[in-house]
Amino acid sequence: MQRLKIRPITIYGLNTALTFIITFLIFSIFTPDHLFLDPRNLASMAKLTPDIGVVALGIGILMIAGEFDLSIASIIPFCSYIFTQFIMNGVDPLLAFILIFPIGATFGLINGLLVVSTGLPSFIITLSTMLFWKGLLFGLSRMMPISILKYVSDTPIEKILTGQIGPVPIQIIWFGIFAVILGLLLHQTKFGNWIYATGSNQEAARAMGINVRMVKTVCYMIIGVLCAWAAVMQAVRLGSFAATQGIGFELKTIAAVVVGGTALTGGVGSMLGIVLGVFIIRIVENGLILLKAPVFGVEMFIGVAVVIFVLLNSFVNRRLARQNS
Amino acid sequence: MMKKYGLLLLSVLMVLSMLLAACQQPTEQAAGGGEAETGGKPGEGMYFRLVTHGGDDPFWAVVQQGMRDACDELGCQADIDLAGGDLADQQKAFEEAVASKPDGIAVVINDNTAWDKPVSDGLAAGIPIIGINNDDTEGSSGNDRLGYIGQSERRAGFMMAHKVFSEAQAAGVDMANAHVAMFAEVPGAAYAQVRSAGVKDAMEMFGITSFELADAGGLEMTTVESRMTDYLVAHPETTFLLGAGGICTDRLTSALKAAGKEPNEVWAAGFDAAPGTVEGMKEGYVTASIDQQQYLQGYMAVYVLYLYNKYGLMPNIDTGGYLITKDNLGLIEELSGTYR
Repeated sequence: MQRLKIRPITIYGLNTALTFIITFLIFSIFTPDHLFLDPRNLASMAKLTPDIGVVALGIGILMIAGEFDLSIASIIPFCSYIFTQFIMNGVDPLLAFILIFPIGATFGLINGLLVVSTGLPSFIITLSTMLFWKGLLFGLSRMMPISILKYVSDTPIEKILTGQIGPVPIQIIWFGIFAVILGLLLHQTKFGNWIYATGSNQEAARAMGINVRMVKTVCYMIIGVLCAWAAVMQAVRLGSFAATQGIGFELKTIAAVVVGGTALTGGVGSMLGIVLGVFIIRIVENGLILLKAPVFGVEMFIGVAVVIFVLLNSFVNRRLARQNS
Repeated sequence: MMKKYGLLLLSVLMVLSMLLAACQQPTEQAAGGGEAETGGKPGEGMYFRLVTHGGDDPFWAVVQQGMRDACDELGCQADIDLAGGDLADQQKAFEEAVASKPDGIAVVINDNTAWDKPVSDGLAAGIPIIGINNDDTEGSSGNDRLGYIGQSERRAGFMMAHKVFSEAQAAGVDMANAHVAMFAEVPGAAYAQVRSAGVKDAMEMFGITSFELADAGGLEMTTVESRMTDYLVAHPETTFLLGAGGICTDRLTSALKAAGKEPNEVWAAGFDAAPGTVEGMKEGYVTASIDQQQYLQGYMAVYVLYLYNKYGLMPNIDTGGYLITKDNLGLIEELSGTYR
C-alpha cells in the first residue's frame, strides 16, 4: 500500500479563524455595554454550545469522508431514553453512562453498515434510520418526558457532566477535550489521512489500498459515541429525558460544519474549522439577540450569515487552490 | 458479500419493527376495546377518528390515553392521527378519515379557513364532526363543526397572566414600568397568538404596556434555553418572563438561573407541568402554570361523538384553565405523563 503523508492542520481552518475573530470582535464592540463579554453571557454560551458542538465534531469528520448523518436527531433522544431507563431500573448513573457508549456506537455501526453495504446515498439511508429510530422511540416512550432529577442530583455524574471548574462550565472543557482528541485523529494519524482520501476520491483511495468501507463505518461509530455523550450530558442538565432532544441538530450541525470550511462534497475541512464553525453560529445567534434584533425571526439573520460565511470560505478556498496550482 | 450483510441488517430492522408492532397490539386492542372484552358495552361497533396536528410532543400521548380510556369504557374503537404540525398532512389524514366513513371525527381546527370546506364536506357526507384542542377563532360562526372540546386559549392566557401579575403587584412591583416577554416555540401558531392575546387582556387590567412575543427557536430545549438566557441578558428591564407552551415553560428556571436571576427577581409563569416547570415551582422561580387538561380532550371527544350518535347530544366543553401553583403541585406530579 502506498504510504500517505501525514496531513498537518490544514490552512482551510485559518480563514474560518479569521471569520471567528472578526465576528467575536464585532459583537464584543457593538453590543450595548459590551454585553457580549458579560461573564454570565460567556458562561451561558460555554454551557449550552457543547450540546450540539460535541456532535458536530463527528459530523464534520464524516462529511470530510464524504458522507452525511441525519439520524443524530433520533440517536440522541434514543440514547437519552435508554440512559433514563437504566437508572430508573436501579443501574448506577455512572455505570449507565459507561454502558451508553457501546449502545451509541452500535447505532453508528448500523448506519455505517447500511450505507456501505447498500451503496445508497447516506442522506437517504440516515433519513430512513432517523425516521425508524424516531418511530421506535415514540412507541416506547410515548413521547412522555421522564424526570431523572432524583437519580442524578448531587451525584458524581452530575459533577462530571454539568459541573463547573471555577467559573468555567465543564461542558466547554469536555468539548475542548473531544476536539483535541478528534483533531489529533484527523490530522496526525494514518486513519485521518484515510478519511481525507476517502472523501476526496473514493476510487483512488480504494486503489491505494484504503478500506473505505471501514473508514466510513468507523466515522459513523464515532458519531454514535458522541451522540451518546451529548444525550447524557443534556439529559443530566435538563434533569429529564425529552423526546424532543436533538430535534433540528441534523441540519444545524451541517450548517456549523459548512461554515467551518468543510466541503459538502467531502475531502476538505479541518477540526479547527469545525470547532470555530460551531462557535460562529452560536455567537451570531447570541450577538443578534444582545443587539436587540427582533427575536421573532432571528433565524432569518442566521440564514443570511451562513450563506455569507460559506461564500467567504469558498472564495478563500478558490484563491488558495489557484495559488497552489 | 457486503450487500448480503446490508440485506440481513435491513431484515433485522424490519423484524424489530414488527416485534414492536406486536408488542403494541394488546394496547391498541385495549384502546379499541377488543371483542372479547367489550361484550355488552354501549359503544360496541362504533368507530371514531381523531385527526390532529400533534407530533413530537408528550402532550398528545396524554390525549391518546384519554381516548383509549373512553374506548375501553364504551367498547368502541378509535384511532388518532398525528400530523406533526404539517397542515397538508393533517388534511390528507382528514380526507382518509372521511373516506373510511367513521361514526364521527374530532379534528384540531388549527386554521381559520383551511378547515371550512373539509368540515362542511364531511358533514354533508353524513359524518358528525367536532373540533378539539384548537377552534376557529370565530367559533361556530367561523366553522360548521358541531361542537368544540378544548381549552379557551385566550381565557387560559388571561388566567396565567392574571395570577402572576397579582402576585407581583402584591410584592410591590411597579406595574406601570413592567416589561412582559413571552416566549413561544412556534410564535406564529394559533396557540401562541391567542394565549398572548389573553396575556394582553390581563396586562390592560394591571396597567402594563410593554410586551414582546419572542421566538424560542422551536422544540429543542437547548435552543429554547439559550434564546431565553440571551434575551434576559440583553433586556434587564424584563419583569415577567412567560412561556407560551410547555417546552418554553420547562426552560424558564434554567434560563433565569443562567442569567443570574434570583426567584421572583423576574416573575415567571407558563403552561403545562413538564419536569423543569415542576422543579422551578418548587424552587420558587415559577409562580404559576396552566394545565389544559388535555386528557379530557381525548376522553370527552369519544364520549361526545358516542352521545351524538346515540341521542343527538352535542355540548361544547372548556377543558382548560386549571391553575397549577406550589399548593396543588403534588397531585400534578403524581399524575404527570398519564392523566395530566
